[in-house]
Amino acid sequence: MTEVISADAPRGAPPERDILLDVRNLKTYFKVLDGVVPAVDGVSFSLRRGQTLGIVGESGSGKSVTAMTIMRLLDIPPAQIDPASEVWFDGREILGLPMDQMRRIRGNEMAMIFQEPLTSLNPVFTVGDQIAEQVALHKKVGKKAAWDRAIESLTLVGIPNPERRVKQYPHEMSGGMRQRVMIAMALSCEPKLLIADEPTTALDVTIQAQILELLKTIQQRTDSALVLITHDLGVVAEMVDNVIVMYTGEVVEQGTVEEVLVEPRAPYTMGLLESIPSVEKRGGRLSAIKGVVPSPFNLPPACRFEPRCPYHWERCRTVPPELYLSGPSGRRARCHLHTPEGAGRWPAALEAHRRALATGRELPVHDATPGDA
Amino acid sequence: MSATVDHGLAAPKIKGALRQRPPRGILRARAILYGILALVLVTVGLLLVVSVLFRVKGGVDLLVEIWPAYIVAALAYIAPRGYRDRKLWAFGLSLVIGFVLVVGAVVMSYLALVPGAMGGTAAGSAAPGASGAAASGAAASGAAATGAVATAAPAGSAAAASPLASGATGAATTASGTIDGNLAFGLITLALLFLAFGVPLLWGLIRERSFFLAAETRHPIKTAQEIEAETGGFAEITPVSASGSGDTAPALGLPSPVAIATGAVDPLVSVRGLKKHFPILGGILRRRVGTIYAVDGVDFDVYPGEVFSVVGESGCGKTTLGRTLLQLTPPTDGHVVFDGYELADVDPDDMRPLRRRMQIIFQDPFGSLNPRMPVSDIIGEGLLAQGVTNRKERDKRTGDALEVVGLRRDYSRRYPHEFSGGQRQRIGVARALALSPDFIVCDEPVSALDVSIQSQVLNLLLDLKRDFNLTYLFISHNLSVVEYFSDRIAVMYLGKIVEIGTVDELYRNPRHPYTVALLSAIPIADPRRRRSRLVLKGDVPSPAAPPSGCRFHTRCWLRERLGNPEICATEDPALRPMTGDAHHRAACHFAEQISESAVAETVETQDVVETAAAVE
Repeated sequence: MTEVISADAPRGAPPERDILLDVRNLKTYFKVLDGVVPAVDGVSFSLRRGQTLGIVGESGSGKSVTAMTIMRLLDIPPAQIDPASEVWFDGREILGLPMDQMRRIRGNEMAMIFQEPLTSLNPVFTVGDQIAEQVALHKKVGKKAAWDRAIESLTLVGIPNPERRVKQYPHEMSGGMRQRVMIAMALSCEPKLLIADEPTTALDVTIQAQILELLKTIQQRTDSALVLITHDLGVVAEMVDNVIVMYTGEVVEQGTVEEVLVEPRAPYTMGLLESIPSVEKRGGRLSAIKGVVPSPFNLPPACRFEPRCPYHWERCRTVPPELYLSGPSGRRARCHLHTPEGAGRWPAALEAHRRALATGRELPVHDATPGDA
Repeated sequence: MSATVDHGLAAPKIKGALRQRPPRGILRARAILYGILALVLVTVGLLLVVSVLFRVKGGVDLLVEIWPAYIVAALAYIAPRGYRDRKLWAFGLSLVIGFVLVVGAVVMSYLALVPGAMGGTAAGSAAPGASGAAASGAAASGAAATGAVATAAPAGSAAAASPLASGATGAATTASGTIDGNLAFGLITLALLFLAFGVPLLWGLIRERSFFLAAETRHPIKTAQEIEAETGGFAEITPVSASGSGDTAPALGLPSPVAIATGAVDPLVSVRGLKKHFPILGGILRRRVGTIYAVDGVDFDVYPGEVFSVVGESGCGKTTLGRTLLQLTPPTDGHVVFDGYELADVDPDDMRPLRRRMQIIFQDPFGSLNPRMPVSDIIGEGLLAQGVTNRKERDKRTGDALEVVGLRRDYSRRYPHEFSGGQRQRIGVARALALSPDFIVCDEPVSALDVSIQSQVLNLLLDLKRDFNLTYLFISHNLSVVEYFSDRIAVMYLGKIVEIGTVDELYRNPRHPYTVALLSAIPIADPRRRRSRLVLKGDVPSPAAPPSGCRFHTRCWLRERLGNPEICATEDPALRPMTGDAHHRAACHFAEQISESAVAETVETQDVVETAAAVE
């Protein structure tokens, strides 16, 4: 497996050719009345052609904002992108591109699938119009050719009767069908990069299975790279090659999917995996991450996970942890346990984690912390 | 079609039935009678104020003059009381009032429209006083009929009061033999109102006669007081010593299958043939153009102390099942027996003591808490409805409930927006718990929450179940949560249960092709166990037009594998016991054909891209 982190190309220099998307120290802030929200706070990763990257995190961890920043879909202001941030896509730095050039890339070379297919499709145009518009714009083809392309892409995503469906409006379709239309639209220009933001969250399990299998098949067929944003570790396990785990705008862990999900190194990831209900834990309590995600206006001073972390010690309150290398091939985790200072505590933590995974962990009954209000 | 009682469940033991929900005609009659009462009171009040404040001569005389209105008002107060107890005299009383209204309307209209008749009546009547009284009584009560309108549209009440006053004045002047234009106008208005409201009232009363004349039902009828006495009043919940006494792992309290089989344990809730159909209204006249078969004949038992889960995709009717079971929406057909009391179409007033014992936790913690109410009111509302009128007492119980769910007592003054999603769901739990229920319907309580919060709430629910001896009906679409959380599971598809059994049976040995597909669709968070899935074709068909025969046959992989046998499309399979375990039942003609190798072969041959080829 290839490493997740880029080969540390010097600032301002393009990454090696094989790397399709290289995000370096991405910071996106929102200025609101109450202060500044650091939605994305120094995220770096890279993605090779044809590979799949999963971004995992709870709501509010900044995973969608990361995607929107890469697509340059955020309104500035209120959003602000740190001038030092760089996003290299296919050999170009795209954060500094003028809007008209960005428009040529967006939808054409990189496309996005949104979470809610009903709200992201225009209700007053037929799905054919919406797909054909994009094709006509980017591929400079005539109306007829664009329309044919729309039918073709609907066929590609397995919609029966595409000739009839293409003339229908979004409300005439079911949720799974609409998500297929979203995918068809994203694929219509044969993009090199596909960003799917929670593509199956709004769908039922059986439909989710359909859509995931479809994404997998299509990615293999078209050899495009895929960024899959989700909060569902199960979806990640089945779909992606590499994973980054985000918490309050920071990457807390990254590595290949086997590394991150089988041998997690950051306490947050460990907690997430422990809290998944399973048969083995029946009859016992689930181990839960205590407390809630901190308010972005009031983040803990050093380690942002420290108030909820079962393994924290005084160093976690004073020194902000870096992404420490904890293994081969770009494996990183943001935790002091992987520094020389914390190394002594790691075996015990690992042992606790193993036990919690196997049986569920006993925690105090009333483990809710007072509100973040 | 209905006669097949082949659900393999014992008939529920019934202690008593509740009184039936009053029919619509009765409810309307009740509203009108209370309207009459309200209007008379308002009129009298106005008359008093006007005559005393403005020293209107004869004002007090007028109060005396309209004495028949007082009688009508008293009757209007008494009759609805009689309805409560299903007394025949209440029906008769209503008829009398309705009769007075209509006759009054006719007489008044006649008097108003035919000027010549006025003198004739005054002179020709043997008892002018009586006729005047009848007329004025009719006027008062007739105008009171406008009260029924007024209750519907409060803004109209002031307007309605003034014609009444003029009507009453008119009636008074009738006795003295003079008449003017105002009077005629007022009377015609009244007459029209009688036609609009008096006639439907009479018609409704006549039609709902059976409500009073119904013979004893199959079971002894219990009043709310009797139930209250039998089930005991409602105890306070005490915050359990928050010690968390670690090692006492909650024994998941499923009565052993043997106990169920021999009937040693009576089910807490029995559902038999429950149906809920919603009409699809269309056209200008809002006529019924179709039916949504949301829940279409469901049978199961929930035993005390167990977690019974209902799983299925959205639109399969699991939420409707929960709501119908609690009688939050009246069922179309079928029975629900809760702790021996039959709840089919019962009077909401009589339901109250049972309502307390069956609570619900809603799915959306953002939508189910009123943003304008502080937490104390949100939780206290149920207590108030159950008769805890003492503010201090209510606050104490609210605080207790908050503490039990792990929130601080002083949060009760805060509003819902001040809480995070997980805390809101805790408030939802506290609201259910404040009434110390026995049975809680948990309608997707964790699906709106993040993974880490989800496990907190699940832990809380398990703790409460252990501490307060609760029984849960757990509705969810998340199969991994259900596997962890429940004792027994029912899988629903398009309004019917397709498979039911204990967790172990269902997950290890699924006997319905839909269950197999559902289980196969769960993504597992372990890349080492990555596998191919069995992907179902197309979408769930519309519950307004369920497929013939087996409802699953349009998407069924097993049917395809067996070469599309005819029986699947023609005959609805019964929920029959599977070999090995009598309590594991599945509704499939070919349940025995399911095996691991069959599934594996199907997975290999399926074409993923084509799976959207749904039957449209």
